[in-house]
Amino acid sequence: MKPLRGFVLITVLIFAGDLRAGSLEVVVKDDKGRPCSDAVAYAAAGGAASAALKKQAVIDQREKQFVPYVTAVQVGTAVFFPNSDNIRHHVYSFSPAKKFELPLYSGVPAEPVVFDKVGFVTLGCNIHDWMIAYVAVLPTPHFQVTRQDGRAVLKDLPAGQYNVQVWHPALKGQPEALAQRVDLGGGTKTLDFTLPLKHDMRAKRAPGLTSGGYR
Amino acid sequence: MYTRMTLSIVLLILLSSFARAEWRFEGKTGVLYNSNLSNSDRSADVRDDWAWRSDIGAGNGLQLTRDVRLNFGADLRGEVWDRFGAFNTIRPGASAGLRYRFGLGRQAPWVLLEDRFGYDRFQDTAQSGYDNVLNLQAGIALSDRMALEGGYAFESFVAPDNFYDRQVHRGNASILFDVTSSLQVTVGYIYREGDVISYAVPPRPDIARFSIEREDEDEFGQPLRTAYKLLGRTHALSFSLAYQLTKYASVQLGYEYAVTTHDPLRYENHLVEANIAVAY
Repeated sequence: MKPLRGFVLITVLIFAGDLRAGSLEVVVKDDKGRPCSDAVAYAAAGGAASAALKKQAVIDQREKQFVPYVTAVQVGTAVFFPNSDNIRHHVYSFSPAKKFELPLYSGVPAEPVVFDKVGFVTLGCNIHDWMIAYVAVLPTPHFQVTRQDGRAVLKDLPAGQYNVQVWHPALKGQPEALAQRVDLGGGTKTLDFTLPLKHDMRAKRAPGLTSGGYR
Repeated sequence: MYTRMTLSIVLLILLSSFARAEWRFEGKTGVLYNSNLSNSDRSADVRDDWAWRSDIGAGNGLQLTRDVRLNFGADLRGEVWDRFGAFNTIRPGASAGLRYRFGLGRQAPWVLLEDRFGYDRFQDTAQSGYDNVLNLQAGIALSDRMALEGGYAFESFVAPDNFYDRQVHRGNASILFDVTSSLQVTVGYIYREGDVISYAVPPRPDIARFSIEREDEDEFGQPLRTAYKLLGRTHALSFSLAYQLTKYASVQLGYEYAVTTHDPLRYENHLVEANIAVAY
């Protein structure tokens, strides 16, 4: 009977854990009250880091654009950079969190790029100046990128206390300044964030006045 | 001249077969106003006019290495003037350019060596001829929003009627500023030294002393004028802005104030243009 009792105990503990898991809805607006898409909402628990949810990610290049514009990954994640265009691209980053270069290539590079340091990385293409994308490399597996409505839902968070932050490519200042703490049990809690944003200065693809940019 | 143009076109076709080449299509259409189309110094002789102008072009780019890009293109440019149709032109041409970027990224300095060769067919056919522009241009970004550009160009125009032959040296410098991600503003300066053609109602012994004359020109109607070809120096200031309408299209506005001198002759031009530009 002892094995049966053990099985029952484990089952109860598992269900008890599920009952305590909660969700966190993060609503992000800019300082003019407009929904803010492409913001990364992430929650870090006070205790030891949980296991990674996903250790691979893909940032595609389609029609001379990076897709998606903002990607969030947990530190240690390998990111593939397939090139779906029929021309070559040249991906690079100068960001301290990950400096790398994928010289002119077509198709899918054999090796992914491992983002092994927490931080925010800006990607560019050396051929097409308007191509730009961002990778948020996070110390937690609990993150989401906000949709067009400025909302993101972090699901299945184990109960506990979390430090919740939001980052955006155009954020003025550091995300720590806007951090909020939340105690999460079962159910869903909602947190609102208002981000001070810089002007969107992404390079233009439409014809401009310069004669020097690569197209 | 025909050989050069043919060679450029053949090279363009050959390059198009390269699997890794990147096609580019461009077009621009709009209006141009010249306050002194006749390049006249006396106000009584000045004739202004509006033109509808359109350019279309297709180009092919080969990224040879990380830093070097080779561009080939063909284009067709046209101007239709409102009152003075003698200046209506159609200008097919071909160009080749080599661009080097000193390093990686959008802010790396670059240098471009480009040559465009074309034929300018004027409605007043005596003015028609072959046009070649050799252009060396360089640029550097000072920040995310600001860049400097400058360069030198040598323009050579060869016509069957030698009177219309012209050679011009041109230097330019400009500062570009991204006001927003959609709005770009440029302020520029151009220095130009070379042949210019100025029209005046004769007699003008003061100009005739240092110019070549061609009498009884009717480009500007009656009274008939004399065209004077002379060496002039032009200083021009320009202001332009481009506003992105869509991912592939922008509207561009430009103004240029130019003063051309050769003592005692001095004339001014105000050039205004408005264009819709597309690139894919």
